[in-house]
Amino acid sequence: MDGYLDKLQGFVDTIRSMKETIITNIVLIGQVPAPTFNEKRRTSVFMERLAEFQVDECTTDGYRNPIGIIKGTRESKPPIFVVAHLDTIFGKDVDHYYTIQENSITGVGIMDNSVGVGVLVSLPEIFRKLNLSFESDIVLAGVIQSLGKGNLRGIRHLLKTWATPIRGAVCIESAELGRLNYYADGMIRCEVDCNISTADGWEHKFKPNAILVLNEVINQILKLRLPQKPRSRVIIGKISGGYKHGTIAYDATLGFEIQSNSDKMVKSIFNSIKDIIEGTSHEYEVDLKLKTLSNIHAAKLTFNNPLVKKTVAVMKKLDLTPVSGPSESELSILLSRNIPAVTLGITHGDNYHQPNATVEIEPIFKGIAQIIGVIMAIDSGVCDEHQLD
Amino acid sequence: MNISWIEKNTFHYSEFSDLHRLVDEKQRKNLKISLCLPTLNEEKTIAKEILIMKSELMTRYPILDEIVVVDSGSTDKTREIASAYGADVFEAEKILPHLEKFKGKGENLWKALYITKGDIIVYLDADIKNIHHRFAYALLGPLILYDNIKYVKAFYDRPIAIGKNKIRPTGGGRVTELVIRPLFSLFFPELTQILQPLSGEYAGYRELFEAIPFPIGYGIETSMILDIYEKWGLDVIAQVDLDKRIHRNRDTRALGRMSFAILQTFINRKKKLGLVDYKEKLYSEMIQFNLVKNKFEPDIYEIKGHERPPMIEIPAYQEKFKKPDDLTPLHENIVEATL
Repeated sequence: MDGYLDKLQGFVDTIRSMKETIITNIVLIGQVPAPTFNEKRRTSVFMERLAEFQVDECTTDGYRNPIGIIKGTRESKPPIFVVAHLDTIFGKDVDHYYTIQENSITGVGIMDNSVGVGVLVSLPEIFRKLNLSFESDIVLAGVIQSLGKGNLRGIRHLLKTWATPIRGAVCIESAELGRLNYYADGMIRCEVDCNISTADGWEHKFKPNAILVLNEVINQILKLRLPQKPRSRVIIGKISGGYKHGTIAYDATLGFEIQSNSDKMVKSIFNSIKDIIEGTSHEYEVDLKLKTLSNIHAAKLTFNNPLVKKTVAVMKKLDLTPVSGPSESELSILLSRNIPAVTLGITHGDNYHQPNATVEIEPIFKGIAQIIGVIMAIDSGVCDEHQLD
Repeated sequence: MNISWIEKNTFHYSEFSDLHRLVDEKQRKNLKISLCLPTLNEEKTIAKEILIMKSELMTRYPILDEIVVVDSGSTDKTREIASAYGADVFEAEKILPHLEKFKGKGENLWKALYITKGDIIVYLDADIKNIHHRFAYALLGPLILYDNIKYVKAFYDRPIAIGKNKIRPTGGGRVTELVIRPLFSLFFPELTQILQPLSGEYAGYRELFEAIPFPIGYGIETSMILDIYEKWGLDVIAQVDLDKRIHRNRDTRALGRMSFAILQTFINRKKKLGLVDYKEKLYSEMIQFNLVKNKFEPDIYEIKGHERPPMIEIPAYQEKFKKPDDLTPLHENIVEATL
């Protein structure tokens, strides 16, 4: 049953022989800008490439997530999902053209998630070259509206409307090779807007500064006592505001995430922060608005879950050391719907979300072999008896 | 002016996206096709061009038979990278080394005729940031599918890269609109139908390329059109819309030097055809002024306008490719096809 494990090293060489095709897919798709909510052009290129590689079905769901289906040999087996998010954090007017060197690719979004998407589209051709067929249908899904305010809408919709059970899933991210995510923390992503009226009024002797008000909010959040168990944290991730150096800021925005492996704790911290914001708003007599952008429930597989154990075996067979951590991505939506899933990275790189993000080419081939190993594990029934913990 | 040519001989790349059809027709006609990329310090873009062309038009669809890089002496890693991605890499000065040495894009294209094997040769600039295999297959489409077409030029929307990471949606093509189009309008109105005569992407049959002279520098595109037009007429030429091409923006001074070379080529062609005569010798220096420490200083750039003769006249080429007896019928074939 585990015979495929011994084939994995051999797969790497065959996959390497397809280097040009794989990199071409990464480049042709990655060079099309796809800011969250504006993924249409990248979706078209994704579909064109999938159609080129002759998947059995190529379509979009009702939410415009592009999907390719490779038919399996046994109709009775539920499908296996392979998922990569299409959207990026970069705007349309940013130069998305890539530079390829002897062993690297550099450009906007290459690490999140052009390599992942390019590999996803290359899978049909790679399966053909490796002479692989599966009992289950393989559903290759490029999901839209994943990042930030997208709030994982693409995957949520895809799973909500998918009519049949799903056998298991692999989420693909460009980086880092060796990552193994099998649990997702509960998470609330929020934004606080501070607006100070520019009109003179009797309530302010001195106009408050929106940046300083948010600074006070941050200070109070930092004073919160967060438990080590359940593991919890607040990440202050974004701040913006003001007009120019010599003028008091009338507008400022703070973005943060509350993460914990307990949904209850996430809710409790959220309520505490809500109190802080209401208190600050009252004290400074300014308008502070708290918006929830995204809310994800905690879900996990245990380390001894058969899918996790088999994924570790696949990685070790390829001399990869698994590194685990929580993931607030497509994985969390799959797990929350009781679908066994893991997230894996394809390669190594630098400058993650910078315009000069760079990935190494050589590790990609091992990264792909690892994905195929896990798909084969799911197809051989590793998830069939599974119940989520 | 008769504008029927633009209606008849203008295509869109999507008309040739059925690559199976191109492969079948290429095989039926028993054609060999070479892609040539002339380079000078193109390490940022060369790998991507080779890789995409190799993947899509060699491995997946056997349309190209070879990818050849002819380099003018790059000082960066252009040659190493091109080799690593599987192109056949040549240094221009080592091809036909017994001939006098020149440097320039035209020189590379001319020498490519000697080292490539194809019946059809596709020339693409090596600095295309948004390279896609349509740049090659769309140029090949009319050549493979239509017997009367022997030379195809690209045209496109030309956004230019500004600054480090921004793209401006329109612009570019300044030399075309300010130099070439007025010249064509004055002397060869029919040729104004060629929308981007200076585009660096074109393909054609060897029989044409080997029979015309090649200026070694910027004038190559202009002279090629004038020579093909003069020898075989406009009907052997087609143009294809390649959608968008992103390229480096050149500064006005560089465009000035480019314009000088083009004007030089144009005037030489007119003289050769007996259409104009000049009482005085033309100068070969482009003079631009710089303000240095409150003084204007001339920046003189010599553009000699050297030209290579038709490759078919080079004995080493004749020996390598065909017997001299075969030459006449080949050229007659082209003329017949256009009638």
